[in-house]
Amino acid sequence: MKSIFNALCSKGLPTRDLKNANRVNLLAVLWALSLLIGSLLSQYYSLSALVISLAFIIHTLIGIAMAFAFKRFLGQLDEMERKIQLDALALAVGVTIISFSSYSILAKNGILPELNSAYLIALMALTYIAGIVSGRLRYS
Amino acid sequence: MKNRLKVLRAERDWTQADLAEKLEVSRQTINAIEKGKYDPSLPLAFKFARLFAVPIESIFDDEMGRDIEPSPG
Repeated sequence: MKSIFNALCSKGLPTRDLKNANRVNLLAVLWALSLLIGSLLSQYYSLSALVISLAFIIHTLIGIAMAFAFKRFLGQLDEMERKIQLDALALAVGVTIISFSSYSILAKNGILPELNSAYLIALMALTYIAGIVSGRLRYS
Repeated sequence: MKNRLKVLRAERDWTQADLAEKLEVSRQTINAIEKGKYDPSLPLAFKFARLFAVPIESIFDDEMGRDIEPSPG
């Protein structure tokens, strides 16, 4: 249990990598918040074109900043941790594509409701975290 | 891949953290390589060889590649 907790918390990573990871995490939280706030506002208020444009621009800019921060994080990692991250990303993308395509067959035939894209993002994030933990345990 | 990193490190009285710092990798990476769970890239293997001042093949034992015959010429 302790090793899983350590793997989850990135224990043992050099300070530089932790700082880069924290930057990515902060931007990910801001990105998710900007999506949540935008969705909530549009659900309860009739938004003007200006507010919609602002929400779109802010969300996109934070997303781009997060992608660049993640690229920098990956670039500065040592080779084993980079392999763990890339394996986890591959797992997350693979699981998400397979799940989405399988779900869409059921959704198109009316067995399940249309899929909310937020679920896909959540699935991808959870699979990525599971991949990271599994990779760190494998090499520990 | 088997290796003699732990022996070479012990001969110099270095900890895993010391070696990790010298090679600019994490201590976890050194630990995984020593245990044979992770095979280092060629550039990192060369770094080990330079640091310990020994040939690569005296650090890493490529047990999988022993069956391959060298090509003539």
